[in-house]
Amino acid sequence: MKILVAVKQVSVLDDEFEMRDDGRDVDEDFFEKDLNEFDHFAVEEALLIKEASGGEAEVVIVTVGDDDADDALRTALAKGAERGVRVWDDSLVDADSVTIAKVLAKVVEREDPDMVFTGAQSVDFGHAATGMALAGLLGWPHAAVVSKLDFKPGDENATIHRELEGGLEEIMSVTCPAVLSIQLGINQPRYASLRGIRQARQKPVDELDLSDLGLSAETVKAASRVRRMYAPERGQAEIIEGSVAEQAARLAEIVKELRGA
Amino acid sequence: MIGTEHDPQEVTRILFRDFPLWMMVVFYMAAVCALGSFAYGTYAQIRKYRRGVRSGAWSPFVERFVGMVRDVLSHRTVKRRDTSAGIAHAWIFFGFGLLFIGTSVITLEYDILGPLTGLTFWHGRFYLVFSLILDVAGVGLIGALLYMMYRRKWLGLPKLDYARPDRIPEDPDYDRSFYRREDWAFLWILILIAVTGYILEASRLVWLQHDATVWDYRWWSPFGAIIAHFLQAVGVGSEGGAEFRMGLWWFHGLLAFAFIGLIPYTKVKHIFTAMGSLMARDPDAKCHLPMADVDEEKIGFSELTDFTDKYLLNFDACTKCGRCHEACPANAAGYPLSPRDLVLSLRELADDKLSDVRLPEGPIEICGDGVNQIRPETLWSCRTCGACTEICPVGVEHLPMIVQMRRALIEEGEFDPVLQPTLRSLQKSGNALGESRRKRPRWTRKLDFAIKDARAEPVEMLWYVGDYASFDPRSQKVTIAFAEILHEAGVDFGILNEDEQTAANDVRRIGEEGLFQAIAEANIELLAECDFKSIVTTDPHTFNTIKNEYPELGGTYRIEHASAVLERLIREGTIQIPKNLSYRVTYHDPCHLGRLNNGFEPPRHVLSELGADLVEMPRSKDNSFCCGAGGGRIWLPEPPELQKPAEIRVQEAAEIGGLDVLVVNCPKCLNMMEDGVKGSGNENNFRIMELIELVAEAMTAGKPGQDDGAQEAVEVA
Ligand code: SF4
Ligand code: SF4
Repeated sequence: MKILVAVKQVSVLDDEFEMRDDGRDVDEDFFEKDLNEFDHFAVEEALLIKEASGGEAEVVIVTVGDDDADDALRTALAKGAERGVRVWDDSLVDADSVTIAKVLAKVVEREDPDMVFTGAQSVDFGHAATGMALAGLLGWPHAAVVSKLDFKPGDENATIHRELEGGLEEIMSVTCPAVLSIQLGINQPRYASLRGIRQARQKPVDELDLSDLGLSAETVKAASRVRRMYAPERGQAEIIEGSVAEQAARLAEIVKELRGA
Repeated sequence: MIGTEHDPQEVTRILFRDFPLWMMVVFYMAAVCALGSFAYGTYAQIRKYRRGVRSGAWSPFVERFVGMVRDVLSHRTVKRRDTSAGIAHAWIFFGFGLLFIGTSVITLEYDILGPLTGLTFWHGRFYLVFSLILDVAGVGLIGALLYMMYRRKWLGLPKLDYARPDRIPEDPDYDRSFYRREDWAFLWILILIAVTGYILEASRLVWLQHDATVWDYRWWSPFGAIIAHFLQAVGVGSEGGAEFRMGLWWFHGLLAFAFIGLIPYTKVKHIFTAMGSLMARDPDAKCHLPMADVDEEKIGFSELTDFTDKYLLNFDACTKCGRCHEACPANAAGYPLSPRDLVLSLRELADDKLSDVRLPEGPIEICGDGVNQIRPETLWSCRTCGACTEICPVGVEHLPMIVQMRRALIEEGEFDPVLQPTLRSLQKSGNALGESRRKRPRWTRKLDFAIKDARAEPVEMLWYVGDYASFDPRSQKVTIAFAEILHEAGVDFGILNEDEQTAANDVRRIGEEGLFQAIAEANIELLAECDFKSIVTTDPHTFNTIKNEYPELGGTYRIEHASAVLERLIREGTIQIPKNLSYRVTYHDPCHLGRLNNGFEPPRHVLSELGADLVEMPRSKDNSFCCGAGGGRIWLPEPPELQKPAEIRVQEAAEIGGLDVLVVNCPKCLNMMEDGVKGSGNENNFRIMELIELVAEAMTAGKPGQDDGAQEAVEVA
């Protein structure tokens, strides 16, 4: 029994930043790197299943990213996963969700897991598409924003809960293997101590490039591309102070100004 | 005084006169039993301690032994913060000690030295002088024991109340009345031994009133003689004295043997365990936490056998004096932690699990909800203020034990989930406030001059700003004021800008040792690339860890706290301050600067230089009461139903009438006290200010033509 968890190293933006010269992203200097928040929950869910089964499952973490992404991978490994897979090729720099899913699909073929978890979305770009695309490529069932999961190794079906609009809750049954995108709050992710992360360096990580997976730069060419990224002018806010009469007067003034009177 | 009708050498203690052989046999059998019991008990206790990890804490032996003897003889630690108990204890200790030595000397002479060598010395003038000393010591002993009884029964001291904050009455291990009974039994046995000793002496005198070698010298035992005269007055004659003496002799002797035999099994063993513990005491235990190899299989203490032999001895050394219990801010605020009860729980756990010939199968888990286990919430209540460890008269080191147990909890992930974002922020950005690295020097934008970048150019003084001083909006004002003071004083200083990370004092104290070491190593590496003469910081936590803990990781620096720098600049005349602040102030010593690092005087000098009228709070200097921020507790919310330690502290300050300012000297204290002044409803009564702010105010007020800031001072003046 094997659970594969796909994780991503995300960029966390500083509150003051500058754009890259090509205007298609923020300058790297203004990022801090971290394991995607949603992925903490996905990893935890896999570990909980493993622990509940008395360690009968193997949890494998996979990420697509350069050396830098090792930190995220080690963090996930430190929590208790068995081993990791990291895929990188410079041609993946501009990869979109579907391209990443293509790579992941090859990893899934290689690893042959019984279940694949991803975070519901990444906190930096938030496409929420990788899991879905991966399931599509594999021809597996997919469930998005899973908020509760009932599954143990050997089960043919997994029972999942999803929270819908209007406070509705949906209970679904999916046939395994499946790709599940895990929602925040499904569990309480454990903390990976720095010592644990350091010791996770001893855990095996397969470093693969495209050719190892039978892919090439051509096959992973992104079909979508960011054209421009910019911060639109901000609206203005003002806290109006003073007595009620003063406040009313100021309000009237603003309304007049905006109407262009 | 020695008469001439007999050979003075005949004057001696009458020991076994008139004893039939069977009595002698019984007596010696009792003696052998008592010694046997003592020997076995001692062996079993030592075996228990040796089941801990070897610490090597008793070397260098001679040096440590001499230090311990000095502490014991001076009773320095026992007298602290409780002089009367200390003096009474000294009387008991020396009284009992002398009487014990006296009796042992007799035995030595009678049973060993005499038969073997024919040498005797227990007679004549030596005997008489010794007899006088013992007589006085015995009275001191009895007086002190009576005082101790009075103290326990009638003074109602909270520190002698064994009610546990970490248990509820329904818990099976809530009841500590056993200890109370033991305390009383101990006092009663001692007092009975001492009192029967006197009556025994008196009846011997009465019995032998016709023997000049005894009776003529009775006033060398004045108290015994008085009782002898009393006995005579009530009609006891020589024969009655003899009978009395025989009965009492056995009672006294068997009681004394029982006492000796019971030493290793009862609180009496503190005589030895306390000495052993004092000998192993680490004077830096309060400010320097034990190093751990983070690459080892495990970290911290999760099982009882992870404790070192020294800590296992610490458990048994505790005399339940309650000084730590009384000093602990967590306990005072109603949190489920008392350092005393923590140590006693561990003692009981060790007695239960480590005393048998064989160790029990499987690990002996320390943390949990079981009997005598330590609850995680107990460990998380600690502020690492060091008050317990610093005051303990027998050298129990609660603080490092607590952090060691926290290390294991952190590794297990057994902690309040609200701490997780903080720890992750520390991993990611090197600060506890969830801010980005870039933001760290942003406070400097409010200055109208540029601070040197210590990474790029040499500076005289490298200012390690710290987390709260960099990011906390209230503290930033202080940080800015300090920058302006240094600038005005013409000090050549610089900062590390976005490369500065927390110094990680509290990271270590929360128990994240791996993260502490990683951050500290990165800081040391960064500092190695900079050119500076000394470090300054406004943050006592930063000060403590850089001063006491970085050297072990390879970073040794000259470091001063801001208050010491200010004191120096004022003393040297670099900063000119008119004595113009006529505030009535009180000063709150930050634990990490005061108790942990003896930085008591510089801030007080500065206050007096400012002209402030300093009124001390009842608890100050080494006895300062923690604001509650330490040990990472500032990152954890305080449960609303409990009083915050800061509120208790502000209330203590409020007792001082007409107070204008409660002066703090630490960014974390500032944060806590600002809360505490509101929480205790005192925000309209007095202000919370940093020492630095007062200096800045005085400097501004002192400048001609700048009466903006002076206004306030004038108003109050
Ligand atoms: S260090 Fe302070 S808070 Fe912690 S147990 Fe000791 S006295 Fe209490
Ligand atoms: S640990 Fe020390 S201070 Fe605390 S009660 Fe025991 S002997 Fe007293």
